[in-house]
Amino acid sequence: MRQIIRDRRTLALLVVVPVVVMSLVGLSFTEESQILDSVAPALLATFAMFFVFILTGVSFLRERMEGTLERLLATPVGRTDVILGYLLGFLLFAALQATIILLFTIGVLKIHYAGALWEVFVFLMALTIGSVNLGIFVSTYARNEFQVMQFIPLVLAPQIFLSGIFLPVEEMPGYLQGLAKVLPLTHAVEGLREIMLHGKGLGDVITELAVLVVFAVIMLILAATTVRRV
Amino acid sequence: MIAIEDVTFHFGKVLALDNLTLKVLPGLSMGLLGPNGAGKSTLIRILVGLLKPQRGSIHVFGEPPSITNTSRIGYMPQLSALYRELSAMENVDFFARMYGLRSKQRRRERVEEVIRLVNLWERRNDPLLHLSGGMRQRVSLACAIVHSPPLLLLDEPTVGLDPELRVSFWEYFHKLTASGVTLVISSHTMDDAAHCDRLVFLRTGRLIAEGTPQGLCQATGRAEATLEEAFLYFIRRK
Ligand SMILES: Nc1ncnc2c1ncn2[C@@H]1O[C@H](COP(=O)(O)OP(=O)(O)OP(=O)(O)O)[C@@H](O)[C@H]1O
Ligand SMILES: [Mg+2]
Repeated sequence: MRQIIRDRRTLALLVVVPVVVMSLVGLSFTEESQILDSVAPALLATFAMFFVFILTGVSFLRERMEGTLERLLATPVGRTDVILGYLLGFLLFAALQATIILLFTIGVLKIHYAGALWEVFVFLMALTIGSVNLGIFVSTYARNEFQVMQFIPLVLAPQIFLSGIFLPVEEMPGYLQGLAKVLPLTHAVEGLREIMLHGKGLGDVITELAVLVVFAVIMLILAATTVRRV
Repeated sequence: MIAIEDVTFHFGKVLALDNLTLKVLPGLSMGLLGPNGAGKSTLIRILVGLLKPQRGSIHVFGEPPSITNTSRIGYMPQLSALYRELSAMENVDFFARMYGLRSKQRRRERVEEVIRLVNLWERRNDPLLHLSGGMRQRVSLACAIVHSPPLLLLDEPTVGLDPELRVSFWEYFHKLTASGVTLVISSHTMDDAAHCDRLVFLRTGRLIAEGTPQGLCQATGRAEATLEEAFLYFIRRK
């Protein structure tokens, strides 16, 4: 029942994946090698969050505007299946994207890499689930595709700047640190760095993972309230 | 088949349905007629279970609208509500799956059957973006009937159809009711109205008249009155 929604999605995904790779190549070559080591996990998390958010936001918005969401809700499918369908589709997409980025950064850019792959994927999964639901939720408040894009500066940009990609969180002013600590991307970046650079296990980054899971659950609940019959 | 009792629905301050009571009998076609904003679409969406009335009760197949009922209802929204990048075939197949047609073989046969029924066989693989408005309307109908539901709720199905297709749609609708399917069809045109077994005139959410097309014409007191005249007669009388 669920994968069903996915095959429609894949069409869009196929177009996007190459774009992702392209932008990656462009971005990556401007970096120096040790900086790259610490930037790679951050990019991995940021890309997963960014693309998943935009794709879900835009496609869900279209689903709402075109009336296909209403038509879907008039079938026996139900809103849980619709959300699960989207989740499944985007988890697949995020996994694929992560694989490409990892292969590229490890294979071509030769970054130092210590952690276990499946742990990286577990982390990204939690982030993706949160991000898909954030997209669904935000699509309620947008009237057109441009407005979804306008949520980028509002929702994504602060996270990217504060997540410690550019500046370690510890070096930020106190109030920004506080803000950074409640944003999910910060924890994703932190956790991924620990795993990828320092070879830590999931047990060592359990707080970071827990934050992502809580974020995912909250967003899931928020998203579910915006997709409903009645 | 459908029992609507004292139903009131408002969107915020806008009153869309005002204390509506109505019954739809099985195996008949019921036409919902009324000007823009009369509440036709709202009523249909309530019957599907997409909206919940603030007051009153609704029974479809003897039950309040619920997700379990949806497999027995074919809903055609007023907007075409289809995936534009996909072809007619893919759209119909997608909704067939959503309606639970699991078996690949059976689904394929049924999808091909309804595509032929709406006369789109030659264009079945074109993305909807390349189809005309009327063609999309036909794909939309195909999606609503693909699971052979005993109740069809069609929101302005004949809008944008050429006269020839309109006739063939109605031929098909008559065939459906003859086989026991119940139809609720909203429309603006008196041409559609004449085809329905029973009619409901709606205006600003209120039921202003109900009956057979002949009955409504006769109620005006002039034997030769057209449906159009009957509609105006009832509007003025209120
Ligand atoms: N989503 C909505 N939010 C607010 N008001 C709405 C909404 N949908 C419909 N309405 C209002 O409810 C009333 C009934 O609308 P409805 O769509 O049921 O009319 P209709 O009979 O289908 O008209 P049409 O012939 O134009 O399709 C109108 O006054 C309309 O403005
Ligand atoms: Mg309408």
